[in-house]
Amino acid sequence: MAAPMLDIKELGKRFPARTGREPPPWIIQGMSFSVAAGELLTIVGPSGAGKSTLLNIIAQIDNASAGEIVFDGERIAGSDVKALHPGLNRRIGYVTQDDNLLPWRTTIDNVLFPCEVQGTLDDAARARAQELIGAVGLTGFERYYPHELSGGMRKRAALIRTLVYDPPMILMDEPFAAVDAQTRTQLQQDLLRLWSLKRKTILFVTHDITEAIALGDRSLVLTQRPARIAAEHPIPIPRPRNVKDIFAMPNFATIYERIRADVQ
Amino acid sequence: MSSADITAGLTESRTIPRQWLVNGGRFALAIALLLAWEWGARAFGPLFFAPPLATAQRIVEMAANGKLFTDIIATMRVSVVGFVIGCICGAGLPFILRPLPRVTAAVEPFIMASQGIPKYALTPWLILWFGIGDAPKVIVVTLFTFYITFITVFAGVRGVDQRLINMARIIGASERAIARKVIWVALLPFFFTGLKVALPRAVSAAIVGEFLVATEGVGFSIERARQLSDTTGVFAGIVVAVALVLIINAVVNALERHTLKWRPTDRDMQL
Repeated sequence: MAAPMLDIKELGKRFPARTGREPPPWIIQGMSFSVAAGELLTIVGPSGAGKSTLLNIIAQIDNASAGEIVFDGERIAGSDVKALHPGLNRRIGYVTQDDNLLPWRTTIDNVLFPCEVQGTLDDAARARAQELIGAVGLTGFERYYPHELSGGMRKRAALIRTLVYDPPMILMDEPFAAVDAQTRTQLQQDLLRLWSLKRKTILFVTHDITEAIALGDRSLVLTQRPARIAAEHPIPIPRPRNVKDIFAMPNFATIYERIRADVQ
Repeated sequence: MSSADITAGLTESRTIPRQWLVNGGRFALAIALLLAWEWGARAFGPLFFAPPLATAQRIVEMAANGKLFTDIIATMRVSVVGFVIGCICGAGLPFILRPLPRVTAAVEPFIMASQGIPKYALTPWLILWFGIGDAPKVIVVTLFTFYITFITVFAGVRGVDQRLINMARIIGASERAIARKVIWVALLPFFFTGLKVALPRAVSAAIVGEFLVATEGVGFSIERARQLSDTTGVFAGIVVAVALVLIINAVVNALERHTLKWRPTDRDMQL
């Protein structure tokens, strides 16, 4: 087997102690897993299990307290790595729980923001942005400000803002949690379609078991705090998948029950 | 059809009468103030209260003989130069301090303490150092403007949503790009609030400075009129000062509306 895209070894995280208090508890402890190149791995965990903290550490906006992380053959976290490099030279994209669109920029300007700050804003980038806007059904809303868009539209804009600069790995932190069920199904379908075109490595965190099954090649279940990997479940549902009818797949119920039994 | 068209279409039927109501209210208030002023002049006599009509006549006279123009130019020169220097320093310093939390913690109490220095009281000392030209007055205006813009921009820099900054870092923005394209734009509402508080004070500071040292200017004219017990002259100067502040404020409001047109809220709350 080829070297994994992302390899997490014995990762641990605790936040700094405040003076005069007990040493802080571990949020993550002894967590190990790896993600293969081109894989869509989903992680299911209860609320407060440290899912966002895990992604923040991988995205390099927070540091690890123990263990190490190897990304694309390079140690990016460990005892000898001191400085953080958020997004590690644009190779790790991060679609957060909040859309984090800049409220003073229109849809198109938000989507092009990465190209603008990276100095790669040219006609090709504009064409790519326009194509992505079309692919997620935002055509006609290019000149709208975020507050003029619906929640689902903002999610789409945030998603393609990451896709526009084409990072090989994308982290997703419950990006569709805050939208209604119908929109969520549509967004999941959009994501699968975009992923099937580009085959990026995606690490998708969610608390929704159905979502984890519908999207993932494989699904990991986290324990309660301190978070570790409780179980690993392959998801042998053939692609292309239809998210709307995922319940009707013959082995859906079995996988669902297995994962549910592991989620505490 | 843009969203602006949609919102305009939705509120059109109500916007026009409401605007009329506001303007009507303003007009009525102005009339009431003028009447109160006139009543004050009749009740206390022209030495204590210059009548509005006499004040207006004086301003027209000043305009006719060119005094009004040279006064305004002199006062504006001091106000604008001091204001611009104060703004640049007050808005720039928080950005310099932002990556240096320890320096900020060390320096902050000194900045706050220095705020307690009565700035007008510095004027005689500044005259000693810089002579009787524009410099001492410009420095006083700069100080007034600096503290207000510094405090508002500093609060703005601290208040910027850290998630937006993290997002910008992840997509590969340099710290400079983050300062310019995220933090600065995010704190513009704070900055404009600071500007609006600082502007009238800058003009006032220039005028008070002219009480102490000047050969022309709105403040100089007020002070000379006071020494001659010319109450009408004092009132004329005050009216000119108020008009100046109103005009500058209108310019800042227009600038703010243009810059912050992305904001969904308080479209009807412009002061």
